[in-house]
Amino acid sequence: MTRIAALVAKELAELRRSPSIFLPALLTGAAAIFYPFVIAIIVPYFAGERLSDSSDFELATQMFRSQPEARGLTPEGAIQAYIFEYALVLMVGLTTVTGSMAVAAHSVVGEKQARTLEPLLATPLTTFELLAAKVIGAALPGIALMVACFTIYVGAVALFAERGVWLMMLTPRSLALVFIMGPLAALLGLQLAVCASSRVNDPRSAQQLGALIIVLPIAALQIAQFIGGIVLTAGMIMGIAVVLCAGNAVLMSIAVRLFDRESILTRWK
Amino acid sequence: MDDVSFELVPGEIVALLGPNGAGKTTTLRMLGGLIHPTSGSVLLDHGTVTPVTASRLRASIGFLTETPGLWERLTVRQNLTVYARVHGLASPQLAVDRMLDLFAISDRARDFAGELSKGLKQRVALARTLLHDPPIVLLDEPTAGLDPQSAHEVRELVLRLRDERRAVLLSTHNLDEVDRVADRVAVLRTRLVALDTPAALRTRLFGRRVRVELAHDAASHVSKLRADGIDDVIVHGGVISVGLNEHVTIPELVRRLIESGADINAVMPEERSLEDVYLRLLKEPQ
Repeated sequence: MTRIAALVAKELAELRRSPSIFLPALLTGAAAIFYPFVIAIIVPYFAGERLSDSSDFELATQMFRSQPEARGLTPEGAIQAYIFEYALVLMVGLTTVTGSMAVAAHSVVGEKQARTLEPLLATPLTTFELLAAKVIGAALPGIALMVACFTIYVGAVALFAERGVWLMMLTPRSLALVFIMGPLAALLGLQLAVCASSRVNDPRSAQQLGALIIVLPIAALQIAQFIGGIVLTAGMIMGIAVVLCAGNAVLMSIAVRLFDRESILTRWK
Repeated sequence: MDDVSFELVPGEIVALLGPNGAGKTTTLRMLGGLIHPTSGSVLLDHGTVTPVTASRLRASIGFLTETPGLWERLTVRQNLTVYARVHGLASPQLAVDRMLDLFAISDRARDFAGELSKGLKQRVALARTLLHDPPIVLLDEPTAGLDPQSAHEVRELVLRLRDERRAVLLSTHNLDEVDRVADRVAVLRTRLVALDTPAALRTRLFGRRVRVELAHDAASHVSKLRADGIDDVIVHGGVISVGLNEHVTIPELVRRLIESGADINAVMPEERSLEDVYLRLLKEPQ
């Protein structure tokens, strides 16, 4: 654990010197925070029409108000809570992954390109420790960014949405989404990126591959939720979290096997 | 690579020589447990290096890679601290301070590695290599690209490692450096071409020769030597070079020259350069 902690501390120290790497993630976070407000607050305000006046949200209102926590909400508040809560999936997924993907994609191939990998491989560090440190080092800033975005999001909902809507962002379901499923999904994506980073010669390839693998399911989940194809319950989130845990363990094992020191040292130029 | 067998003992510096692509770095990587031989084995005091044991055994090896490989956005101290912690040292900061003092870089500890000169980077890399006090030290071209003063400092350090009874394997293209520091030389050309002390290699390839400087022209004395059966004689004005063997020894040669009336100014063993030795070895058929 000491070796992993040492390497994670190094990753974070390097990132502190390159804050610009998080600019895309900050922009993504801002966009992810902003867009549900456009749907739930801004458009109705300028259109002079309440969401609850439209029959389009009838099903959402019914679905949402069936939850015990939502019973005290007005019809408008229920629709807002529906939109804000389901937008969480995208915000959690995108901010965590975009915040960390560049770091993860750069992790192994970047070290190789900077010629810092070989001295590291010459230490007692095992492949598992190296890859775990790379994944954790990439995930921590993304998770921190996601928590910051979530805090701003909840604050903004409290300020601009109907009374009580913000409390719906703090239900066990939402919190499990933010603090369990989000980080686990991010870890999975980052592991894929680190894995790709140890197999490709160019960080951009790893980044594109990792982003593609993780962003597509997140977007699909988001769309499925909005059209009512999937309703993520707390139980489903926990189930997905268990699957993600198992997936992370399997992926780490595969990543360790795929990490070919000889090839990295001798064939990569 | 094939058929590369040799032993490295404590308190010894062995230099690895060979053209580019001869396998010097690959040999170092195999010894350092970074890559594994397809056949054969690497034995350390406490075990054989295998994919399973390599991680543990690397703790007893200090490997200076061809490039310093410092994290340029971290300070010198941060670079060393990461490695001290990766090596699991009990007091990482104490170990780092010790190395900073030893390499006289304490005043640069807070500088970012990317801001250092090449020589300083190499010094930091050497400090990193020795941070965990390894008994085995593998150095891949430690003076490549350094200015003469920095190269001299590195060589002094390498000699100090030998005095500390560490086993040092040094890969280099600098033959002068090898002459200055190496106890033995291993010449590689994807296989081990030669392994011996520089003196033994010289003798093996060129025989033993002596150089005699005379006060006057040597021609007449050379004729006398040849008449006495000493044929391997080369003349350059007042200097003669004579090949030695069991019949022609230095006292015998001096005695004959004096008998022929020569005034001798100096007698010294004639050494072929290591470059001659190296080039001759590379020309030999495999």
